[in-house]
Amino acid sequence: MEILKISKEDFNSFIDEKRTASAPLEGPGDSISGHAEKWKTIGVVKKGANFVFAELNSAAELCLDYDVTVLPPKKYFLPPKETLLKFIPKKAESYAAVNHPGPIALIGVHHYDLAAIHLMDRAFSEGERDEHYMKRRENSVLIGIYPTKHYKYRFSSSVIRGQFRKAADIMLVAMNGFFVVEILTEKGKNYLQGAELQENDFSLADIEAAANKIKDDQKIPLPIELVPEFLEKNHDHSAWDYFGGKCFSCASCVLVCPTCYCFDVRDEVDLTLEAGKRVRTWDSCMLEDFALTGEGFNFRAGRGARFRHRIYRKGKHLFEKYGYFGCVGCGRCAGSCTAGIAGPVKVLKYMLEHKQ
Amino acid sequence: MSSKPKVAFFDFACCEGCQLQVANLEEEILVLAQMVDVVEFREVMTGAAPAYDIAFIEGSITRRADENRLKDIRNRSKLLVAYGQCAVSGGINKLKNRRPGMDEVKKEVYGDSAGMPHLDTYPTKAIDEIVAVDFYIPGCPVNREEFLWVVKELLLGKTPRLPNYPVCVNCKLQENACLFDFSIICLGPLARAGCGAVCPANGVACCACRGTVDNPNKNAMHEILLKYNYTVEEIKKKFDIFAVDPEVQSGKK
Ligand code: SF4
Ligand code: SF4
Ligand code: SF4
Ligand code: SF4
Ligand code: SF4
Repeated sequence: MEILKISKEDFNSFIDEKRTASAPLEGPGDSISGHAEKWKTIGVVKKGANFVFAELNSAAELCLDYDVTVLPPKKYFLPPKETLLKFIPKKAESYAAVNHPGPIALIGVHHYDLAAIHLMDRAFSEGERDEHYMKRRENSVLIGIYPTKHYKYRFSSSVIRGQFRKAADIMLVAMNGFFVVEILTEKGKNYLQGAELQENDFSLADIEAAANKIKDDQKIPLPIELVPEFLEKNHDHSAWDYFGGKCFSCASCVLVCPTCYCFDVRDEVDLTLEAGKRVRTWDSCMLEDFALTGEGFNFRAGRGARFRHRIYRKGKHLFEKYGYFGCVGCGRCAGSCTAGIAGPVKVLKYMLEHKQ
Repeated sequence: MSSKPKVAFFDFACCEGCQLQVANLEEEILVLAQMVDVVEFREVMTGAAPAYDIAFIEGSITRRADENRLKDIRNRSKLLVAYGQCAVSGGINKLKNRRPGMDEVKKEVYGDSAGMPHLDTYPTKAIDEIVAVDFYIPGCPVNREEFLWVVKELLLGKTPRLPNYPVCVNCKLQENACLFDFSIICLGPLARAGCGAVCPANGVACCACRGTVDNPNKNAMHEILLKYNYTVEEIKKKFDIFAVDPEVQSGKK
């Protein structure tokens, strides 16, 4: 749409103004109550030795020069635990949806996480539309950034294309003291109103080079188009038992994955039996009880079967359904797996090296 | 008299830390108090009743005389819940069982008074080594929220299901740095979640005070131990702290 630039200092003071100002009544920020609300401003900050997405108390906390965050930004659209509706037990007319997200801005989302959000948007809007997720998305502005730091497990270049631009409202490219600002949507444009934007005088070639400056160490060992069929043919590959035998079923790989969206829904009733709520929490196909049915039968009881299922979802099921590889190559699973086995690159390599 | 469920709390050998957790529930305990008759609870009240709908047992059995008291409570209770790791597995009280004899233990702890009749201790037993237990609430101490949830489920006539997944799940959701990244051995991948991963969140390795998940992957842990140059014996010692038996497969170092 439009390419401009802003100095890093001006960007920070703009973010701080935004944090304390009221959001406009139209567009994102048009809350259900009709009252203007403050922009909840989320950015990447340091937590111990790692980076996380968290609400900013000041733009000074922002660390946009980061490798990867522990959890992806999906936690703001599909929270680990949320109340979907409240009710009074045995009173059908009392069921009332709980859904009033305020305006929220996410700053510093890497391109692979944006690609994942685009995939989640598809999953939650097509077919049975999920109002809880979609309302949050509608009320959000996503400010993306191209990675400026290397992460040893990242392989996004081999699995994502341009789809990240479908989720981003604004993309930033860090260039000595400035951010080149590419405005991709009306929402993004509205959000930036009042910012000290300047005319861009960097050449497109320089911007392109800066955006692609960080090269991945890893890549998927075969063209992604071939992965679904490859997996299909290798349903009984020894890899599943090999990796399954090393797996703790701890679900770290799934909790940190930006394209995992399995959840569980339960009703919680107060002790007094006078009030209840329907609660949705993250679930995970890697956990032993995920496929446990009411009668006590577990249709994916083996670790190997669960391990295969996860890889199939990333490399086959989601790909076939949405036309995008179900893994965006963030490398978080590989980095967070205590057993050191979760990364799709490692798994596919092993399968190729141990041809059946 | 009211028809509210009668609930009682009893303690055996323990530090009473678990009942303190319950007493500290404050607000929630007021709601609870409206729903049930707490007929015995030494930490906050005294009293005695002939029968209980739910008896909560804290602590482990370390003297023969306590067995009878426990059996008597069991006979008078519809449901018996072991809460806190002392009650569930014997907890840290079981450490002494690893010593060669009780005389030596008694001397070391009580010195000249070791012969007093009320100090007539024997090797520690968990509650279910004496009587049948209907439900367990693990942890040292128990997690307050989990305790409250279990009570609620029991009062609603449901069978509570403890989390059957590792502490890593709690840990990841808080975005803690994994201790393995600093070469610290953590039992989180085998330990039962539900505590909110309080130890790793504070930089301390989990030592499975809540026991393990139903089906811990002992072989996987063994491989990791080898990688970090740990022996199975060293890890067993960690599990011994709370008398948890993960049956980590022994083998070559
Ligand atoms: S993180 Fe690793 S050990 Fe844990 S469930 Fe995933 S593959 Fe298994
Ligand atoms: S599968 Fe792993 S690398 Fe791929 S998107 Fe999920 S966490 Fe990232
Ligand atoms: S389980 Fe721990 S906190 Fe509870 S009584 Fe025993 S020693 Fe104390
Ligand atoms: S610190 Fe321990 S509990 Fe946390 S993720 Fe690592 S192994 Fe799991
Ligand atoms: S982290 Fe481990 S040792 Fe600490 S409270 Fe939880 S289960 Fe117990």
